[in-house]
Amino acid sequence: MGIWHWLERHALALLGVVTSAVLIVLFYFPVAIVFADAGGVDAFSAVLTDRFYVNEIFAFTAWQAFLSTLASVALGLPGAYILSRYEFPGRRTIRSLTIVPFVMPSILVAIGFVAMFGQRGLLNDLLGVVGVGPYSLLYNLPAIIVAHAFYNAPLVARITNAAWESVDAREVETARSLGASRFRAFRDVLIPQLLPAILTGALLTFIFTFMSFPIVLALGGFEFQTVEVWIYALVRDLDYSEAAVLAVLETSLSLVLTYGYLRYEARQTAATRANRPLARKRVFSGVDSSTESLERVGVLVYSAVVIVVFVGPLLSTVLESVTGPSGFTLRYYEFLVTRQISGASFQTKPGVAVQNSLVFGLGTLLVALPMGVVIAVLSRTWDSRLIEAVAMAPLAVSGVMVGLGMLRGLVFGVPVAGTRVQVSGAIAIVAAHAVAAYPFVTRNVAPMLSGIDPRMVESARALGATRFRSLVDIELPLVAVGLAAGAAFAFAISIGEFDSTVILATGSSSYTMPVAVERYLGNRTLGPATAMGTVLLAVTAASFIVIDRLGGRWENG
Amino acid sequence: MNRRTFLTAGSTALAGLAGCLDSSGTSDSGTSGTTANTTAQTELSGTLKVATYSAFVDAPSSSPGKWLKTAFEKEYPKATLEWQTPENEVNYFIQRRAQGVDIDTDVYVGLNVDHLITIDDKLGGKQLFTPVADSLSNYGHVKDDLKFDPKRRAVPYDTGYISLVYNGHEVENPGTFDALTKPKFESTLITENAQQAITGRAFLLWTIYEKGPDAYLDYWSQLKRNDVQILGSWDAAYTAYSNGERPIVVSYSTDQVYANRSGADMQKHQIGFLNGQGYANPEGMAKFANTDTPTLANAFLEFMLSKKVQSKIPTLNVQFPATDWADPGKEFEKYAKAPEKAITYSYDELKGNVEGWVDEWARQIATN
Repeated sequence: MGIWHWLERHALALLGVVTSAVLIVLFYFPVAIVFADAGGVDAFSAVLTDRFYVNEIFAFTAWQAFLSTLASVALGLPGAYILSRYEFPGRRTIRSLTIVPFVMPSILVAIGFVAMFGQRGLLNDLLGVVGVGPYSLLYNLPAIIVAHAFYNAPLVARITNAAWESVDAREVETARSLGASRFRAFRDVLIPQLLPAILTGALLTFIFTFMSFPIVLALGGFEFQTVEVWIYALVRDLDYSEAAVLAVLETSLSLVLTYGYLRYEARQTAATRANRPLARKRVFSGVDSSTESLERVGVLVYSAVVIVVFVGPLLSTVLESVTGPSGFTLRYYEFLVTRQISGASFQTKPGVAVQNSLVFGLGTLLVALPMGVVIAVLSRTWDSRLIEAVAMAPLAVSGVMVGLGMLRGLVFGVPVAGTRVQVSGAIAIVAAHAVAAYPFVTRNVAPMLSGIDPRMVESARALGATRFRSLVDIELPLVAVGLAAGAAFAFAISIGEFDSTVILATGSSSYTMPVAVERYLGNRTLGPATAMGTVLLAVTAASFIVIDRLGGRWENG
Repeated sequence: MNRRTFLTAGSTALAGLAGCLDSSGTSDSGTSGTTANTTAQTELSGTLKVATYSAFVDAPSSSPGKWLKTAFEKEYPKATLEWQTPENEVNYFIQRRAQGVDIDTDVYVGLNVDHLITIDDKLGGKQLFTPVADSLSNYGHVKDDLKFDPKRRAVPYDTGYISLVYNGHEVENPGTFDALTKPKFESTLITENAQQAITGRAFLLWTIYEKGPDAYLDYWSQLKRNDVQILGSWDAAYTAYSNGERPIVVSYSTDQVYANRSGADMQKHQIGFLNGQGYANPEGMAKFANTDTPTLANAFLEFMLSKKVQSKIPTLNVQFPATDWADPGKEFEKYAKAPEKAITYSYDELKGNVEGWVDEWARQIATN
């Protein structure tokens, strides 16, 4: 009894210590190994005075990231609006599915885009029916930007949607009753509450697309080079010192952005919790005013764009998996079944990949949720942007850099007192996924947490509840929407994660679905890879619907 | 050569008879009273760990890994072959060696000349692979023009020829490097990133071979003006080609072997050599310097060069055999096209040059 009591009193502090330990071992230590390779001031000035790096690489990287962010926000916001404000059949399912693009392995996105937007892609086929085209839509900057929007617009939509659903209808009603026009109420009441979420989405998009490389490589063509593409090439040549210099510069830039954003967020008035969310409109019901019918037209146009940009590549991937050189075929699925039944132990089996993905995803959920919440609480308590920026760093550090550090630090092992301490296998993968995922939990939970009236927590504590108890009993139920969103993200990141999984799964059977997709590529046929990709889509779509529904049940009950 | 082959074969067999080379072998070898060779085979035991690239054991269509394991274990019943496919392939081992971490693997399959240069540049005096070619009795069957390691660590087991693959319905064979820069072939060619893709690098080296180290960048600016498309990997490039993005792609001259198996329209899979050449890209295998089963490792290398395996690898890996005694069968002979003249850069020509060539090229392409 005494121990339990002590544990409960110190639960938050203990979780904080554990979280820090995980971060240090799985993130800061590997990153430090790479930083140590970077060398002195000379190495940095050599890069910074190289016109090629500054004018071609860094400038282009920032430019495409800026355009990609604009496109993602432009494409994501209407989605958030429709999901928040409209009621239509399948709305919740579609909301759950917004996360699917986010987890698609880049290789699958590239295949999907080629199959959708290529010369003989689905879009050109459809355009050909009405007698236009074909248009060449790939391997240029717009293709990169649309693909980045494919990944990140759903992220923007989802984060904004969570904020929108926590807006209290009474505030808008009050403003309207005091004589504000719809537009005034929107601008003065709604926008300030949504802006932090929109900017979170935009900043994350900028950071992700700033560090993007597989998409740039696959859909842009080699003349479009980002910093990350260049780092990857240097790492492949084992040219660590120059790669490390570039990685440090790239990381510093994204850390500065993260820190700046957190300072901005801190100045925002906290959003309040939705006791009563805004009422939703029906899509398929009688329309009165001309503004509303105009809005319906907008919704239809937006739906058409969504079908082309989001549904198209996914659908084309599925079509590709059932199409052989001579028409419809099921032989690629037959391949999966055969491989599962009679594949050798050293070969990749689809069933094992599905099972691993689900187990790792669940494990990530269980680790990342507490980590994310703890950091959200601690950074509020201590009120330090710097600490939060340090805790958010996993978002801002490139996958190539973490992967390299992990390989040299954890997989090879660190000599401690004569023996090598190695971290690998399933636990290491779950921990690595959790490190990548918890910032999303924090970002979904923190803004809502700060919106809770501190007096509620104070009253609970005055009545004898520990800090941990008041967090679990009072705060968490109030931020259930954010928690559910964070959980979905954590699971999604684990399912879609590729870089650290392949490194940590080396020589073991801990491969996941995206790794299996990659391994089934090659030898001149996309069939097996797209068939596995379709399995990945089906399994993840089903899981997110389950997670969202479970989260939703919690939120309603 | 024959004399040396005979001598090394004899000494290996004797060593096997004495049972003194293979530390993991059972200690009672040499007592069975059969011939030396049979004794060596039946007594060689233990686990042989062979690392390779993943497509070699795990490709969706066909890959030699499974067949090789079964055949090897049939020949050496007491031995077990264990495949490893580290994500970073040979770089994984270079990194381990550089960090002073133990390497638990015995043989690597899938080396090319670039790997050897990287090994020698990054590891300096530290040895990763041990010279092994001269101790193999079957090495005499390896075609001389495919031998790419002056230090005789890497032993070629197959080779590919880089060529163009084109859609005969849409374009005719360009035939020459210069034709590719002409308006007729504007926006027709896809190649791969020479920093990362083997085919892309081979094509770049081929242009340097053809145009010279001082003029290749000019040639590439002509290609760029003619709207060459450079994609990140062979997969991406071939996918784009298959989807009709462009009618010509830099690939392998064995393309029709695959095309035939999937019943494709051969007109869409025409092989185009440039200036009558193909760039040869031999694949080699090597024995790790610190292997604890050197005899078993040698036996595996011999096995890979044997007539039986050399006849089978081409159809499973869809590459040309590396030896003069292979018989890959009718399908392969009919559909795998070899160039009139195979060219390649030697280790010595590439060492000290290749990094600069590729870097200059990459900077020029990335500068808009």
